[in-house]
Amino acid sequence: MTEASSRPLARFTIIEVNDAKIPLCLRLATSLAAKIAADLGADVLKIEPSGGDPVRRAPPVLPQGGSALFQFLNTSKRSLMLDLASESGRTALTQLVEKADVVLFEEPASIASALRAGKATPVEIAAFPLETDAAQRPVSELAIQALGGLMHMVGEPARKPLKLGGHQASYAAGLTAFTGLMTALAARDAGRRAPPVRVSLAEVMQWVNWKAASGAAASGISPGREGRNSEFQVLPCRDGHVAVVYTVTQWPATRTLIGDARLDDPKFSTRAGRRQNIAELYAALAPWFEDKTRDEIQKVAQAKGVPFGPIFSPAELLLTEQYVARGFLADMTHPTQGRLRLPQLPVQWNGRSFTPRPAPELAP
Amino acid sequence: MSERPLAGIRVLDFGLLTAGANTSAMLADLGADVIKIESGAYLDPFRVVGKIDSDEGWWNRSPQFRFTNRNKRGLALNLKDPEGQRVIRELAVHCDVVVENFRRGVLDRAGLGYKELSAINPRLVFAAISSQGDTGPERMNVSFGSTLDATSGIASLTGYEGEEPRISGMDVNYPDQIVSLFATGIVIAAVTEARYTGKGAFLDFSQREVASFTLGEEILAASADPAHRFAPRGNSEAGVAQQDAYRCADGRWLAVSLDAPDPSMEAFCASKDRDTAVAMLLDKGIAAAPCLDGNDLLRDTRLQGVTLVRDESGGLVKGLPYRLDGKGLAIERPAPDLGQHTDEVLRELLGYDDARLKELNDSGVTSTTPTIGEV
Repeated sequence: MTEASSRPLARFTIIEVNDAKIPLCLRLATSLAAKIAADLGADVLKIEPSGGDPVRRAPPVLPQGGSALFQFLNTSKRSLMLDLASESGRTALTQLVEKADVVLFEEPASIASALRAGKATPVEIAAFPLETDAAQRPVSELAIQALGGLMHMVGEPARKPLKLGGHQASYAAGLTAFTGLMTALAARDAGRRAPPVRVSLAEVMQWVNWKAASGAAASGISPGREGRNSEFQVLPCRDGHVAVVYTVTQWPATRTLIGDARLDDPKFSTRAGRRQNIAELYAALAPWFEDKTRDEIQKVAQAKGVPFGPIFSPAELLLTEQYVARGFLADMTHPTQGRLRLPQLPVQWNGRSFTPRPAPELAP
Repeated sequence: MSERPLAGIRVLDFGLLTAGANTSAMLADLGADVIKIESGAYLDPFRVVGKIDSDEGWWNRSPQFRFTNRNKRGLALNLKDPEGQRVIRELAVHCDVVVENFRRGVLDRAGLGYKELSAINPRLVFAAISSQGDTGPERMNVSFGSTLDATSGIASLTGYEGEEPRISGMDVNYPDQIVSLFATGIVIAAVTEARYTGKGAFLDFSQREVASFTLGEEILAASADPAHRFAPRGNSEAGVAQQDAYRCADGRWLAVSLDAPDPSMEAFCASKDRDTAVAMLLDKGIAAAPCLDGNDLLRDTRLQGVTLVRDESGGLVKGLPYRLDGKGLAIERPAPDLGQHTDEVLRELLGYDDARLKELNDSGVTSTTPTIGEV
């Protein structure tokens, strides 16, 4: 799909409001939701505060000085700088929002109450649930991964809990806000009243981490990080690491694949037995990995239907055969940042991808 | 005016476990009529994984299944039987959306792939959710939850500083959880488009790509700068002066993000109970939070917001990740027993009579019990 007019959201107009003094983790969620709509063809106008969206200066920084984070999160948008602390800035925003289908903004924004009352359906990004009444509470990506119980799940039990890499709290909320935004557009398009949407990072994180609550409810004991006692662990191989993952029904194939006589011991034949003897199990598994590359391991494991996961870095993903074959990565020539390669929306729609346009320069 | 956003949309749901079944659950929550298809010979694996006893009807009591399949109607139809396949094709005429996350090729072999069903109903939006996508050399690769932590890149940035990478593990299976948050929105976009143009769409989702998409800026940075470094980063974050988890005097952990380095933070936390330390830090305008566990989340009903709900029998189920009109989830029906609504739906949509329903049941095309015995 190269023609903007042929994209599915081409007839919708969306305003993304970036106010001053908003925590970074909320900005990323808002911008991701609007970016998805923009790549799908919606006319997305990004309102930036004086000096621009602070994400323009956020790491990782590109060799030409731009922000990779900003470039990724703002593809296919237009941009306009407005000082929302001034009367004229607020008036200009109100006029723009009157003509839009949806307006995205964050709960602590100075203009939030006006945007909730306008004609455009509000999609509001917050840090915490309504019930906590905590619009001004300091917040960060890490704080949300902690509150949502995700950190409790990653790492060694006797050592500190760990966050998942990347901006997972922000991005999971951004994906959610996109679905909320689509719900609003679908309702409007069908001639129905569209419900205002509210997404909080803390709720999304708990929702994603639902097995912690369901596990605790079922047994009284919360699941938690098991580290070297967990069934799935990471083992070193010749050129990196591989995640050892297999289901109960895939255990016999896994045992055959590794082919170590120690694994034939009956104590490993049940899931309970493998869990009770996990250190011994991994001691028997590890040597098989040591002299093989990730590619070799993936090939022979997949041939036996065993879902071991070779660990790739983002740089290696640029060369992944599967991603290249599917055209998942788009090449983009940016007017100031040069040649860039980035993931497209992770969907193929009738076999077509949605090539993004470069993020906008800061325009007063 | 109170009509729900997806009222009037019907979903033929082959979704299993989380990635598929939760996408259709989110559509159900928005008002779509979701009819979930299983068969006696192939249950949603969540019925089996979550088995809590071996008594009669065990397949209807799994908490994981209940969590993910509320607000759906349930049919059991044998997809390997030509009669079962024929019933599905008849149902497809009355549906707007198909959601499936079988291994590639399974529905095609049953004559129920996009090609066949869109020939019957051109307005159909067909969401195929798979590990690697519907094309490419790895399309048939198997994965399970944390396989995709590894292959998507997330694991490479997760772990203690200077140590090996880590996965989210089987109690999280993070990549499985996020795909429905995106796929649901795309399905709604395609349904809107189909209403407008009269043409449906084949939506090919790769779960691995969804997970890699969450690292977009890292992939982009790597493309411009081969020297861009990747390694597990502990709890630190580029652009944040100091950020970590610290152990408090009561042995519990808190997480702190600081705009300026503070070498005394570890000692400060170690000298206070967690809740005291969190309150003091928040008072100073510092982003701090307790590292909660599953029991904490169950207890804190304000923090839960709309994410957990109880169904009519008091069972805990997954709520919503967002709220519409300020409200959470209305549980209109609990997760269906196996085949609970087979007769109801076949009468209502296809006009089947008692004789036809009996015939299907007698020949094993429909059922309410697993034919697979112990799983």
